[in-house]
Amino acid sequence: MGDMKVNLQSEKTEQEVRIEKIKPGERLNWETPKMEDVSEQVMAQPYIRFT
Amino acid sequence: MANRIDSLSAPLLVSWQLTRDCDLCCLHCCTDSAPGKRLPDELDAEEAMRVVEEIARNQVPYVMLCGGEPLVVPHFFRIAEALGAAGVQLKIETNGQRLDAGAVERLARLPVRSVQVSLDGDSQEVYERQRPGGSLAKAHAACHTVRAAGLPLEITFAPTRLNLHEAGAVIRRAHALGAFRFNTGKLMRVGTAARLWDRLEPSTGQYRDFRDLLEREARNLGRQMEFCYSPFTLGDALQASLGEPPATLLVLPNGWVKVAAALPHICGDLRRESLAEAWAAYCGAWRDEAVLAGIRRAAGNELLHADANNWRRLAVSEV
Repeated sequence: MGDMKVNLQSEKTEQEVRIEKIKPGERLNWETPKMEDVSEQVMAQPYIRFT
Repeated sequence: MANRIDSLSAPLLVSWQLTRDCDLCCLHCCTDSAPGKRLPDELDAEEAMRVVEEIARNQVPYVMLCGGEPLVVPHFFRIAEALGAAGVQLKIETNGQRLDAGAVERLARLPVRSVQVSLDGDSQEVYERQRPGGSLAKAHAACHTVRAAGLPLEITFAPTRLNLHEAGAVIRRAHALGAFRFNTGKLMRVGTAARLWDRLEPSTGQYRDFRDLLEREARNLGRQMEFCYSPFTLGDALQASLGEPPATLLVLPNGWVKVAAALPHICGDLRRESLAEAWAAYCGAWRDEAVLAGIRRAAGNELLHADANNWRRLAVSEV
């Protein structure tokens, strides 16, 4: 168990980025997403409006 | 620094592009969709149903089904009905060409929060110029049917130099149709629109008049119909996302998951990974300085958005 590493692959460059891995025990502290939190999130994104 | 998304066990919204196939070939399309453009590796029905199970298991509250045209997908209703049975709220984005009474009747049995229909003109001539092959009468009929069934209706208008002179008429039409929201913003330089940019891009003056129109109509009709056009540009939205990344997973027709709509980066694959894994990778990507630097560049340079559909995988490994 440790960090996650992400490689951004493209034809010319390879970027390596690190992602903190969430430990299984921490999941209990996560908040379950709720519908009442959605609206503003959705409408703030032009791509969502035009897809 | 932790983002709001880091406290969530799953996304608030999954925006699921079911296909690149479409029954229209719109000039402004940001997904490069058109008739016959189904991708060879799109999720099949069984794979899509596994994604449905993942969405339900992770208690994602809201799913937007879009495309391409979602209603051309043979298993569209199987997906929508399974999500609805799991209590997931739905938004359907459609051009309305196939949204007949039978389809609306099936949707009306589901927890649909919104049916969004695109109206990019108020005359058949202008509508079809931007949406070749499209019937404005069918789109209007779909809107009427949606409202008659008691479903909430949203209208979307993608501004181009071909249709901006009818923007006011479309706003009035949306209001008359009983839409609760009118969506618009600056034309995005992505997909087909990017290739046809010189033909489509409105002038600065046209945009200025358009913004004036929106502000005026929002004052006049704002109590009856919400006007949604801010952030106006994709770049502004990206900039805002740097402060608070959207709790949205954008799922492509092959199950890949994007970091941001305007960028080509792919952080997950729902054909091979769980939704929890894809969500973890998404949240991690928004904490990574290299990814954030790319987002900052895209926020300040609209030309970079044209690369958004040239998807590139982020390879995830543990260290």
